[in-house]
Amino acid sequence: MSTMAFDKELDLRNLPCPMPVVKISKGIKEVAVGGVVKAVTTDPGALTDFPAWAKTSGNQILGTDEAGGEVSFFIKRMK
Amino acid sequence: MEAQLKNDLVNVFKSKLSSQMLLNLDTCSRCGLCTEACHAYASIPLVKYAPAYRAEVVRRIYKRSFTAQGKFAPVMGEAKEITDAALMELKEAAFSCTGCRRCMVYCPFGIDTQQIMSIAKLLLVAAQAEPETLSMLADMSVSKGENIDAFKEGFLSGIKRLEDQMIQTWRDEAGEDPIPTDVVGADLLYVALAGAHSIIPSARIFNAAGEKWSLSFFEAVNFGAFVGDPTKTKLILDRIVNEAKRLRVKEVCICECGTAVRVAKQLKGAPFKVVSLTEVHARYIRQGRIRLKKLPGSYTYHDPCQIARNGGVYDEPRYILSHLVNDFREMSPDPKYNWCCGGGGGLVAMGDETLDFRMQSAKVKADQVRGSGADVVVTACENCHTQLSDLNKHYGLGKEVRFLSSLVADALLPEPQEARG
Ligand code: SF4
Ligand code: SF4
Repeated sequence: MSTMAFDKELDLRNLPCPMPVVKISKGIKEVAVGGVVKAVTTDPGALTDFPAWAKTSGNQILGTDEAGGEVSFFIKRMK
Repeated sequence: MEAQLKNDLVNVFKSKLSSQMLLNLDTCSRCGLCTEACHAYASIPLVKYAPAYRAEVVRRIYKRSFTAQGKFAPVMGEAKEITDAALMELKEAAFSCTGCRRCMVYCPFGIDTQQIMSIAKLLLVAAQAEPETLSMLADMSVSKGENIDAFKEGFLSGIKRLEDQMIQTWRDEAGEDPIPTDVVGADLLYVALAGAHSIIPSARIFNAAGEKWSLSFFEAVNFGAFVGDPTKTKLILDRIVNEAKRLRVKEVCICECGTAVRVAKQLKGAPFKVVSLTEVHARYIRQGRIRLKKLPGSYTYHDPCQIARNGGVYDEPRYILSHLVNDFREMSPDPKYNWCCGGGGGLVAMGDETLDFRMQSAKVKADQVRGSGADVVVTACENCHTQLSDLNKHYGLGKEVRFLSSLVADALLPEPQEARG
């Protein structure tokens, strides 16, 4: 999964609430529709927040990659 | 603005006109006693940041739509119609107010500017002109409540990672089940935030105190309240209420998040008690369930407005600190006059878009922190912690900013072996 191609990487490690979601919602707009953002998180809450955000914002989580206490989300901008 | 929307907004305004609100709208004598009480005005002396001026932005619309003088002689009473430009003014007034209610403490009539700003926020929501970031966050929270089964697995795997961290660091307090979830019949439901810093120190303290607790699947923060949307506020709170009822807990403990504490404490008729984490920690010390060692250094405490001025929790953090440190310095002789940090009301949650304003409007807070002379600034709210950390950097204060709960966790003394059983 870590070899999945992406257009932009966001470092969202150890941010206070609710910055991971705020930053991904802004960061996704920095790639073209169809582009992919890799977001690296450390918060356990990101594992529920990101899917919920993707659902309400109409974007798609292509996959996740877990390693060494970090979870990377690969998110495709859909609109 | 279309006539239909204008009409709808007048009706939305009307729905907020309780007797208390009418008192807020009709009573101001324009004495100006509140003006310097607002950190925004005290830091940036522009009339638009004076509490009575903010209120006036709403009051003018009230006069135009609901008072005889405003309807028939609008110019005399400075009455104003709802227009797109008026909405912009409402937005600026409402989202430069943190809802700290310091102005109310100084007003001889107890006029609640924060309440008046809730009208402005509601009108913005009805006109779909509210800050996009806040409504996005509120929608995300609501969606989690509607689909918890879909998100549970992810949450539990995140918690598993934290448990591994806990076991590595604190084998003693970790116990069999370091971070319990979904415990039917638990005494206490702990509602945290998404970050590990909101879960791990608290888990350590609950376990050390022998608490029968369960971690909520939901985050405490209520973005519906930040945006000023009562429907979303209720949906977000209901997620926690339903979980607490399902688990039949006696107590719901809200983490260090001021708005979450305020919103949950407003619940009426719930079959459980709502308490803040700070109150629970004070109780553990009082009951001898945890013992703390003294920490070195000098400390001051920033009262989160939503927990202290708006929630009455002043004594508990000071009681905890009296067990934690020898050198404690108040920022203000009476904590009810403590300055707001300038980060509330959703401003911190809006992130970088509000950073400049947050830094400028909280200069008085930065001066107060500096003036305390303490090395460490302690607080009990996520928003305040973020804002104080930003102020620390911006004004070069050279302080350490800490959560009260993390200090308690650091200072925990192990229980004597025989007491562990
Ligand atoms: S509630 Fe606080 S931020 Fe709002 S007007 Fe009053 S003092 Fe200023
Ligand atoms: S202190 Fe109260 S009465 Fe005086 S201007 Fe402010 S809100 Fe109005």
